[in-house]
Amino acid sequence: MTMTPRMSTSLSWVCRLSGTRPLPVGAKLLRPLHPRLESLPSRPYSTSTWAGSEPLKHASQLRRVAIVSFALGALGCYGLQRGASGRTDTRDVPLTHRVSSVHATGAVAGSSPLLNASNAPSELPFTYGTPEDVTKAIEELRQAFPESRVSTDPSVLQLHGSSENSYHPSSPHSVVVQASSTEDVVKIVNISRKYRVPIIPYSGATSLEGHFSGHASGSICLDMSTMDRILEINEADGDLTCQAGARWEDINSTLKEKGIPLFFPLDPGPGATIGGMVGTGCSGTNAVRYGTAKGEWFLSLTVVLPSGKVIKTRRRARKSAAGFDTTKLFIGAEGTLGIITEATLRLTPQVPTKVVMAQFPNVGTAVSAVNDILKTPYGHHIQCAELLDDNMMSAINAAGLVERPYPVQDTLFFKIQGSPESIVEASKAIQEIASKHGSSHFEFASTDEEAQEIWQNRKYALMSTLGAHLGTKCWTTDVCVPTSKLPQLVYETKADLAKADLKSTIVGHVGDGNFHALILFSNEKELKAVSAAVHRLIHRAIAMDGTCSGEHGVGIGKTEYLVEELGEGTVELMKTIKRAVDPLNLFNPGKLYPQNDPSHGRHDL
Amino acid sequence: MSFTTSRPFQQIFTNVLKRLSQRNLRPSSTLTNIQSKPITNTLHHSNYLPTTQHGFRYALLAGGISFSVAVAGIIHATRDKSRTPPLIDTPAKTSPSTTNSPDFPGAIGALSQAFPEQGIVSTDPHELFAYAQSSYSQRLPHTVVVHVQSTEDVVKVVNISRKHLVPIVPYSGGTSLEGNLSAPRSGSICIDLSAMNRILAINESDADAVCQAGVTWNDLNETLREKGIPLFFPLDPGRDATIGGMISTGCSGTNAVKYGTARGEWILNATVVLPSGEVIKTRQRARKSSAGFDLTKLFIGAEGTLGIITEATLRLAPLLPTRVAVVQFPDVRRATNAVCDVLNQGAAMQCVEIIDELGIKALNAFGTSDKVWPEKVTLFFKFQGAEDVIRNNSNLVARVMAQHEASDYRLAENEEEGELIWQDRRNALFAGLAYLPGCKGWITDVCVPVSKLPDLIHAAKKDFEELGLVAPIAGHVGDGNFHALVLYRDETELALVREAVSRINRKAIELEGTCTGEHGVGTGKREYLLSELGQGTVSLMRMIKQTIDPHNLFNPGKVS
Repeated sequence: MTMTPRMSTSLSWVCRLSGTRPLPVGAKLLRPLHPRLESLPSRPYSTSTWAGSEPLKHASQLRRVAIVSFALGALGCYGLQRGASGRTDTRDVPLTHRVSSVHATGAVAGSSPLLNASNAPSELPFTYGTPEDVTKAIEELRQAFPESRVSTDPSVLQLHGSSENSYHPSSPHSVVVQASSTEDVVKIVNISRKYRVPIIPYSGATSLEGHFSGHASGSICLDMSTMDRILEINEADGDLTCQAGARWEDINSTLKEKGIPLFFPLDPGPGATIGGMVGTGCSGTNAVRYGTAKGEWFLSLTVVLPSGKVIKTRRRARKSAAGFDTTKLFIGAEGTLGIITEATLRLTPQVPTKVVMAQFPNVGTAVSAVNDILKTPYGHHIQCAELLDDNMMSAINAAGLVERPYPVQDTLFFKIQGSPESIVEASKAIQEIASKHGSSHFEFASTDEEAQEIWQNRKYALMSTLGAHLGTKCWTTDVCVPTSKLPQLVYETKADLAKADLKSTIVGHVGDGNFHALILFSNEKELKAVSAAVHRLIHRAIAMDGTCSGEHGVGIGKTEYLVEELGEGTVELMKTIKRAVDPLNLFNPGKLYPQNDPSHGRHDL
Repeated sequence: MSFTTSRPFQQIFTNVLKRLSQRNLRPSSTLTNIQSKPITNTLHHSNYLPTTQHGFRYALLAGGISFSVAVAGIIHATRDKSRTPPLIDTPAKTSPSTTNSPDFPGAIGALSQAFPEQGIVSTDPHELFAYAQSSYSQRLPHTVVVHVQSTEDVVKVVNISRKHLVPIVPYSGGTSLEGNLSAPRSGSICIDLSAMNRILAINESDADAVCQAGVTWNDLNETLREKGIPLFFPLDPGRDATIGGMISTGCSGTNAVKYGTARGEWILNATVVLPSGEVIKTRQRARKSSAGFDLTKLFIGAEGTLGIITEATLRLAPLLPTRVAVVQFPDVRRATNAVCDVLNQGAAMQCVEIIDELGIKALNAFGTSDKVWPEKVTLFFKFQGAEDVIRNNSNLVARVMAQHEASDYRLAENEEEGELIWQDRRNALFAGLAYLPGCKGWITDVCVPVSKLPDLIHAAKKDFEELGLVAPIAGHVGDGNFHALVLYRDETELALVREAVSRINRKAIELEGTCTGEHGVGTGKREYLLSELGQGTVSLMRMIKQTIDPHNLFNPGKVS
């Protein structure tokens, strides 16, 4: 959520390596369609190519062929996975040949792996190259890329493999490679597959759940942070195409500089990049009005698949009913199914906003006020409804980031949007409802600067919390429940934390039912207590029909809750898709899916 | 949104019925997503008398399909079989083993045993034919129809289907336009979910509702209104479309400008029966979640090829006051440019619809409207919110429209008048069909980035002119989506229609758009999928299909 010192170091390293500042964001670089999209061999998983085969004339023949083809295909995927876990001698053989060798054995397609899914949860393969293979992979990377783009400097490896704000097991990477184009990513993916070295994408490094930590068997860190160019802005269509390393804040400031009255409304932590935002299925304070990354903000993605193939998931129309949308497969997949290199984003018109602050007697009244407000005809003028509890307010005051101290009370910050007249009308309606729910104090930010400052304080909640409690660390939780359950959840959590003698601040996207407790600790003993409290909190949220993660993702930290939340069948289907798309489990292994990764120990506290 | 059947509306409705019967037209629910009450109600008056316990639905369905039957016959005769490339590319040499052939008698036996009650399993030839929907192509009957009542029933049927290797095609609303419900040549079990039409829970304070797959969106909204709950479900495809079908096509409708489509965040979770017979619930009920990629989305737009949806939790939106405005333009290009402009200026709108001059002419000739529209390209806006907000937005829109040489911008006096005007938009389809006596219509569904829409409509109109076709246009311009109702009276004209539709689809794809904005792929548009999405993306879709449904039993031959 904040720009840590570590991250800024990382950025400066990036700049040092590339020799320049990253290309000025916003240079409007119109570019022909990726040649690779058209020219790549298209079906690595099948024995024939589309273009060469004679169309089958008879439907009955076609249907029989279809059944066998699907069955063999499934067997092929299954075989690939089995083969991958057992053999190392086929390393250089392209995937296609290995599929045909499975066919050639004449094995009969039996029931699919899925059929047994509910009986015996299946495992993902975790067999990777030896240390020598890793060395060879690094050598090949050095041959393929200029020296400045490949680093094995221990501090760089460490920096790219861990975060100061998550407390999950992490290993340094074996090598960090900077990609500057989709072609680069394809090369790196192919080398990773050739030597069976896991590949872990990295860009904004703002993740809180260990998404980009290294793998113990050795891993290639694919640094996408210099792929941060905006490629095309279509103002009339309200969309924009950019590379995966572009930061949402840079996109919005570029639009502003160019005088284009549009913006991209997903606003997770400062520094987050488009690739990572897709990967985690992010949201932010604007979600009340604009929804999340899982909505319709990503029109299409360019993705490098584990096979090395590049796909573009959609064209640029705002809506399409052409089959299930493969774009959505990569949203929230945390880089485990493909590496996003480019994205087309839908933009939305900039609307004037005003910030309002209202104090409430307690969290419950604040939340029910928001629910009521959202149901009025003025509900869609609410762009954000953020809760900051009394502890958070006092932390902001104590961190010394504000000119005059805020009242220390459970507080809602609203961002109201619309024309000046409708803002006035809307805030009247809001104030009326707020006071019905016991709000004592209702105040407009008097100037735009003050509004910005208020919002800044909210966005930098993590930094304020740490700043107010010098010498401590902070574990950020991220549960989300149906909105009516939120007050109960917050009460129970506050009571639980008090009982465990833990200090915390709370910020919440109350319009969505999502809140973050920022729980403080300063030693191992407290960390253990925090971890236990987080467990209890997540179980509580799941029992309320909620989720372990509203917007930060699963990473390493939350894999253990997934079955409880989604059910075994759903998790198994996710794994089935993972196995089909990435049979060697090379893309960001150990993340997202509950699994027995032999190279990871238990939760490292 | 308001679904009030006001008195004036009833009058209009009676007029529509009268007109339709005069012209001996039977509008088909297979024909439209431009929904309107006349559709269903006309069907109530159809001559088909149901005898089974599911007769009511059956009647709706049969009437709905009757039109496409007629079309199908003609198309069958003229169909160019080599035109659609086979989408399965395994060489013919890997011939299948004989044990893999479907065992229909076995399956029917097992179904009858599993559902001994009267009327659940049916092999009545009328029914087999009636449930096998089709687009504008050849139509084959199912082998057996099963009317399921619960998720458990669906599991039973799926397990029997898998054991006997018999394809399975889900059915509920029967409003599909692209052959999404057609029976495969080999024969099939049609699993009819239309009786699974219960709303299971309404959580007013969380603004969500849990319902079975066979619930129609209009019934859901009606129920909310009756209960006095000021919420509604904003996805509004063709009337009587069901939640299961809406999820499966990735539907949208007129409200998409404000609320987006089924691919957004309206479906919080789905209960799905997988080809393995396993039942999964994709997520819990929180409004948002970052717990991995969302499997709900895998089934949105999958047209029943990956799983059969039996229940879903839907997010609801607050019901707001609305108001309609109309404005006219000398040509389509100016109208669409104005729409682009106004959308990017942040005017808050629920709907922006267009009817071209031909559509307006047809509407005038149809005579259901209480006014005679000047024969110009017309935009229909629907604003929402508090009175002052509506006024503000309306003023902004009026200003922008004037910059694009618009004439006669008018905001309806009140919600009732707005509803009357909106009826004209809804009746555009029927008016179009009535325009040429004795004609039938083929509805296109392309969608492009909004700024490309003028080019696309222009190209389409040129094509129609060149081919001598009459095709009134109505569309969801706010999304870049439009429907041309291409009229034809005989086989010669139908061949021309095919040519025109093919040109439009290709043109849309060339303009970075899609062959289908909201009707889905079905069998009708598979041939365009490769050029639209690229080989790699289609391969990925097929790989997922193969992985989840290795025997290719779930709605085979659809989508990819």
